[in-house]
Amino acid sequence: MRSAFADTLFDLAKDDPNLYVVSVGLRPSVLMDKFAQHYKTHFIECGVAENNAAGISAGLAKSGKNVFLCTYACFSPGINLATIKQSICENNLSVKIIGYHGGLLTGELGASHQMLEDIALMRSLPTMEVFAPLDAIETVKMTKVLAKSSKPTYMRLVRPDSPEAYPHKKGFTIGKSEILESGSDVTILGYGPILTQALNLEISNWKLEIINCSSIKPIDEKTILKSIKKTGRCLVVEDHQMAGGLGEAVATLILKSGLKCKFTQIGVDNQFGRSSLDPLDLYRLYGLSTTDIITKINYLMSKK
Amino acid sequence: MKLWGQPVHPLTSIARELRLTVFEMINSAKSGHLGGSFSVLDIMTVLYFTNIFNFDRDHFILSPGHLSATLYAILGKIGKIPESSLPTFSQIDSILESHTNSQVPGVEFSSGALGQGLSFASGLALGDKGHHTICLTTDGEHDEGQIWEAIMFANKYHLGNLINIIDCNHMQIGGSTDEIMPLDELAAKYIRFGWTVQTIDGHNFYQLEKALKTAKNSTIYPACIIAKTTMGKGISFMENDYHYHDVKKLSPEIYQKAISELSK
Repeated sequence: MRSAFADTLFDLAKDDPNLYVVSVGLRPSVLMDKFAQHYKTHFIECGVAENNAAGISAGLAKSGKNVFLCTYACFSPGINLATIKQSICENNLSVKIIGYHGGLLTGELGASHQMLEDIALMRSLPTMEVFAPLDAIETVKMTKVLAKSSKPTYMRLVRPDSPEAYPHKKGFTIGKSEILESGSDVTILGYGPILTQALNLEISNWKLEIINCSSIKPIDEKTILKSIKKTGRCLVVEDHQMAGGLGEAVATLILKSGLKCKFTQIGVDNQFGRSSLDPLDLYRLYGLSTTDIITKINYLMSKK
Repeated sequence: MKLWGQPVHPLTSIARELRLTVFEMINSAKSGHLGGSFSVLDIMTVLYFTNIFNFDRDHFILSPGHLSATLYAILGKIGKIPESSLPTFSQIDSILESHTNSQVPGVEFSSGALGQGLSFASGLALGDKGHHTICLTTDGEHDEGQIWEAIMFANKYHLGNLINIIDCNHMQIGGSTDEIMPLDELAAKYIRFGWTVQTIDGHNFYQLEKALKTAKNSTIYPACIIAKTTMGKGISFMENDYHYHDVKKLSPEIYQKAISELSK
């Protein structure tokens, strides 16, 4: 996912002389060595200073540049939220904030580096739009679309390679969700690689409708509610704190719509992450594994 | 006519008029940051009422967004916004928000949270090298670490088109800057960080003009102007009294006394 983004951005820069990358001291980790070498004057290195980097990005955007601010999500927005709010959002400037290392999938780096609150922070900011691609293929499509956006933008990436998880037929559209599998028993919503665990599940009894909510804000209210109306059951899956994430966004949609349905969530429940050499061990430990998804589906199906 | 050895500068009457406008705005809102608004007023008068810079092309970034009243008063006087809108300062249906709002024509940066302006100005100066970006910060604001991040950045990228004017009135909301967080040798610090530094009287129009012209000619070094100012400048009993950092409702006696001083 990281390399899909970095390669796409490199290609986009060929045709966009206004494209700038703002780096925050993590150039090798955000895979920007090649960009920095090739586009020397368009690669701006701020050092380990996230607030200044957000301010520099805003100022560059004010001067008409197409700015991608690239660092770990735990630092941006983790450290520089107030600068993102004021310098970028209140001034309504289109900086594309790329949050690397989202979620428990960050693995051995542990609690400090596993950003589990980024979606909550970003979706609460007025003007900010929030996205998280499913896999490498969607990362490419999404990056191309977001490069043309004129709004403050946040895109979450994950650390491990996540090659094509699904044969995407459609292009990515802001505000649209894609139905990956159609079914009539349970609606499963999510974003990022964790959702791919729900694909091809060996549950012969139930027909699952799996929807990729990679456009978290704006959210595709129509597709989501239409599916829940059909199935009457909803499971939201995310590698993020349950507080403030997609689950809460969907729960609000359901309550506002007046739809009656059975609802449950998979996510991190008010805990910090921790180190693990195998990130999937963390999914097992925190209740985010494929087994947990099956358990939740069975729970929803058991409710009358 | 001469006053204290120097001829009275033509900007004196404009600054006097602006002080009255700002005072009336804050008084009618029963809310505003009077001390700082008067502290920076002469600096901003020189920026906007001389032809050293042209803010249709050059940029002015006011980092302390709470000093909005002075900027709005100037934008009213130069016709960017209707002067008739100034009495709506801070009201719910007005765009003239208490802290600067970039929806106001002529305001380039929404601010209020301190310490962000110099980063924004540095990004803007980097992205628009053909013009000058003038940032106004305060000494109290230099408590913020982000300011020092921006100072390093401007040096690294040789932002010769960036000027940071520091309103040094030695006061902040809770007392003197020396007491809250001493800045000590601010000029020496900037020099060590690779900037050029001029230290001047921030209420002397001649010195301000000269310093800005010098700073404008800098090619690769970002330029810092340390403007020594007086908080509340223009109303004797408010000067250097941090209790006038921000004001609420003024008594009729205080109001009259202030107006009579400002009208002199």
